[in-house]
This record gives sequence, structure tokens and C-alpha cells, in this order.
Amino acid sequence: MKRTKVDTGFTEPDMTPMIDIVFQLLTFFMIVSNFESTKADERVKLPKDVLAKPPESRPEEELVLNYGFERNAKGEITNPTPVLFYNAEDIPLDRFKPMLEQERRLFLAKDGNKALDKVTVTLRADSEVPTGLVQGLIKVCQEVGFSRFALKATQEDY
Amino acid sequence: MAKEKRQTAGVSKVDIPMAPMIDITFQLLIFFMLNLKIVAPEGDFSINMPISPPAQSETPPPPIPPIKVGLRSDANGNLTQLTIGGRSLGNDDLAFDRLNGEILKIIGRPNNPLTKDVEVEIDADYELHYRYVIQAISKCTGRLDPQTKQMIRYVEKIKFSPPKQPAA
Repeated sequence: MKRTKVDTGFTEPDMTPMIDIVFQLLTFFMIVSNFESTKADERVKLPKDVLAKPPESRPEEELVLNYGFERNAKGEITNPTPVLFYNAEDIPLDRFKPMLEQERRLFLAKDGNKALDKVTVTLRADSEVPTGLVQGLIKVCQEVGFSRFALKATQEDY
Repeated sequence: MAKEKRQTAGVSKVDIPMAPMIDITFQLLIFFMLNLKIVAPEGDFSINMPISPPAQSETPPPPIPPIKVGLRSDANGNLTQLTIGGRSLGNDDLAFDRLNGEILKIIGRPNNPLTKDVEVEIDADYELHYRYVIQAISKCTGRLDPQTKQMIRYVEKIKFSPPKQPAA
């Protein structure tokens, strides 16, 4: 039996299922993406706790301080002295006060004399930082004029 | 005639060019995929550290003295002893559960209006790893209801005692 060739010319593939899937993926990634700049430094390994739930409301003004260790690509601590990760610089605690004073001036220039009452200093300290140094940082913040503090931790599953 | 015209209109098909839309869609998809950063959710514990006014001898003491929680450590920053009011609770994970129980005993019941002003003062050694302090703060703050997964709050006011100098 001779097979007859039918010249169909150009056949269009059905694009609908592919477009469906692509749109679903696009929607998923759009929803999941978070463009909010959290000012969080990935080198800081926060302590974990079950009660650390994301706050329902954000503070009116926030100053985020990342306090941790310099780490290599594997996440190992390369320098045992903790530093503050501030504006792409690694600053030890004893040299940090001028930066806090600068932040204070910025808050005062923005919102006036009562500005500091609205500011919450959010401390993102590494789980292995000595507590005395965290307290030292709080003390320096108090000396500059900040009085509200929040300690960050990563949420742990119950 | 009219019938013929309608039929012709029904047959004609306008091809919408899909290629540009698919191009843009794929570019958007790649953009969002590359921007995706998966981060663990973070929560915070508020602490009460007001700027201390100049010392005044006439300042009345608080009506309820703060609950003193002590955390002692070795030179490596590991917890060696957890105390409440000078009484040892041990140094393991169960010690923190005991602390949670002791706090509940002191306040009587969660959201007790009589003890809502109770304050906890954390007195930690200088070298102690910060994670133990967060654990202690968490256990003083409350506990998670296993059924509802909601926090049952014990104490709202938590403060640190003045920092100590590092051990020689």
C-alpha cells in the first residue's frame, strides 16, 4: 500500500498549556518575591526561638544593627572579635559610637527633637556573640539617646 | 446575500502574534526567579531599657521587685548555671523549661492583672553566648500553646542588669 504524503505546510504547536504554566510560575514568583530592604546581614546567624514570631506592626522608625562575626564562604568564623556590619564596613564596638551619633543627627533632622522616642533599635546579634558585648552595644545606644530596643531571633518550628 | 457575508466573517481568523508576549513573560519570569531570596522569618523580643535618669535618693522602689534571672557561663561562653532569685535551675535545656514553670508560679496565671507589672531582670555573665539570653528571655516572655500555636504571655517587661566586666 502506498502511503500518500499530505503536505500540511506549517503546523502550529499548541502554546496554551505552556503559557498557562508560565503565567502560574510568574504569579508564584511575583507573590513570593520580597523587595523590602530588610537591612539584614546574612553573616549574622541569629539565635532561634519558637516565640520569635514576625511582629504584626512595624515600628515607626527603625535602626537595624547587625552584630556578628566575619565568616568565610563556608560560614566559619574567621575573626573571633565581633564587629558591626554597617554601610559595607566592619566596625568593632569601641569605634561605633560616632556612627550612632550620625544616625541620631539624621533622625533629629528628619523628625525634630522627639524623633528618638519613636526609633526602635533592632539588634540582630549573632547567637555566639558574648552577651557582655551586646549589653555594651545597648549601653552605647543609650548614651547616644536611643531607648527602645528589640532583639531579633529566627523563628523556630515548634 | 446577507447569509453569505456572515459566513465569510466567521471563517476569517486574526492571528495574534504570541511571540512578543511570550518573550516578555519569560523575561519577567527569569527576573523574579533570580530575585527570589528565601529567608527564614524573623521575630523580635522587646526589651525595656530606658535611659536611666540621674541618681536620686528619693526615687521610690518599684511596688513589685523584679524577678532576677541569672545566667552563669564558663570562659567559652557555655551556660554553666541558670538561676532564678539565687536558686539554681541547672544548665540543660530542661533548666529553661523549669524557668518557664517558675515564672508561671510567680505570676499565678497568664495575663494576671495583679502581676502585669512584674519585671524580669536578666543578669548574664559577660562571655555567655547570646543565644542563651534569648532562650531565657523567651521562657520569661511566655510559652506557645500547642493547640492554637498562639503565644501565652507571662511577662512583658524584661530588662538587663548593668553589664559586667569580662573575667580576667
